[in-house]
Amino acid sequence: MNAPKDLLYTDQHEWIRIEGAVGTVGITDYAQEALGDITYAELPTVGKQLAKGAEAGAVESCKAASSIYSPVSGKVTDLNAALEADPALLNREPYSGGWMFKIELSSPDEAAELMDAAAYTEFCQKEAH
Amino acid sequence: MLDFHGWMLPMQYEGILAEHAHCRRAACVFDTCHMGRFHISGPDAAAALAAVCTQDAAALPVGRCRYGFLLNDRGGILDDTILIRLGRQEFLLVVNAAPARSDLQWLQSHLTGDVRLVNRTASWGKLDLQGPASFAVLKGLVEGDLAGLTYFSAAAMPCCGVERIVSRTGYTGELGYEIMLPTEAVGELFERIVSHEAVKPAGLGARDLLRLEMCYPLYGQDMCEDANPLEADMGRFVDLGRDFIGAEALRAAAGVERKLVAFRTESRRKAASGQEITVNDSPVGAVTSAAFSPSLGVSIGMGYVRADLAAPGAELTIRHPRGPLPAAVAARPLYKKGTCRTRNLS
Repeated sequence: MNAPKDLLYTDQHEWIRIEGAVGTVGITDYAQEALGDITYAELPTVGKQLAKGAEAGAVESCKAASSIYSPVSGKVTDLNAALEADPALLNREPYSGGWMFKIELSSPDEAAELMDAAAYTEFCQKEAH
Repeated sequence: MLDFHGWMLPMQYEGILAEHAHCRRAACVFDTCHMGRFHISGPDAAAALAAVCTQDAAALPVGRCRYGFLLNDRGGILDDTILIRLGRQEFLLVVNAAPARSDLQWLQSHLTGDVRLVNRTASWGKLDLQGPASFAVLKGLVEGDLAGLTYFSAAAMPCCGVERIVSRTGYTGELGYEIMLPTEAVGELFERIVSHEAVKPAGLGARDLLRLEMCYPLYGQDMCEDANPLEADMGRFVDLGRDFIGAEALRAAAGVERKLVAFRTESRRKAASGQEITVNDSPVGAVTSAAFSPSLGVSIGMGYVRADLAAPGAELTIRHPRGPLPAAVAARPLYKKGTCRTRNLS
């Protein structure tokens, strides 16, 4: 599995790329692999306030459905509209074209509670066993 | 891999959507050894089967297959089956994996007269080759008149000295064949089929999606012992002018209160089996199968609804935990471009 070093990760298999006060959120390569072909993505609405760990949306695949949780607290500022017509972007490009939403961090300190790539990789290896 | 009623089966190889698309476009091979195969022969085989199955075995021409049911005496569906007439006194009954053992016991206790019943599930295997390219693939692998095999026909077509029964049947809606042969020869045939450039292997995931687009009910999910064939909207496979176990109960039932329907939504969001179906907030039924349909680009499914709501166009709402999911009853099959009835193969 692939876990880029410049991202932070949750134990629910979301990633976040924090640039200044804004984070971009998606699901990890490990998550998309486990779900298989993704057929639908439900995203939060722009302007919605999300608490860290709150349900932000959902993804459905041929095999399963899974909730998406916000890695941090803040306000949703943007959505990836391309996922509506092509949710398979989540499979093909989990860390680039398959991003899900952007969030303006209200408590930037929360980032310290997330895993870095090395810790997340180890976490997935444990989960797989 | 998935434990399917004691059989280890692949959910997918390359991926469910890729396998689905390949089957609609070219051909896929499915390992269906898990399905039960019972060989029934003897002077009284036709009459005995006609009394136990909804298929009229006595009227079935040699070389033809017919879809039907094993029913209990209340008319409830014990299993859905395909009956193949191999000879005047020789039949093959193909059944589902889950109820195969109870089917066998049912047949043992209800087939009467001079009849021999042999369970060939372990000694014979089955492969399904399905897709528009399946004729071109299989004609190089069997001896016999494959082009002459019309939809729902079957014939013995040995190859390399190995006995084989080929039927032009399937569970995908595409042109295709089911091939039954001794278990020890299955692996080699699978390899030969899959080595053809037009063929990919496919798993249970793609098979379930392909059958749902065709609205073929799945036993244990869309049909069970608590439902009868009229409720499952399968009345056309049941001749109530004839006597078989369950016929009397079906004749006595004055209409049905619920019916199995196909539905489609306008969304990619899918329903799930067990979710309640409502009209004006009142419960009218429940979902039994659901999936995103790649062929239609929207989510689809099947479920039982109140019989007065079973006509195509009836508007339904599915109670989904993420908010109401509007749907409409749709004519079967949902996927209308299936090639299973293709004529004039050469």
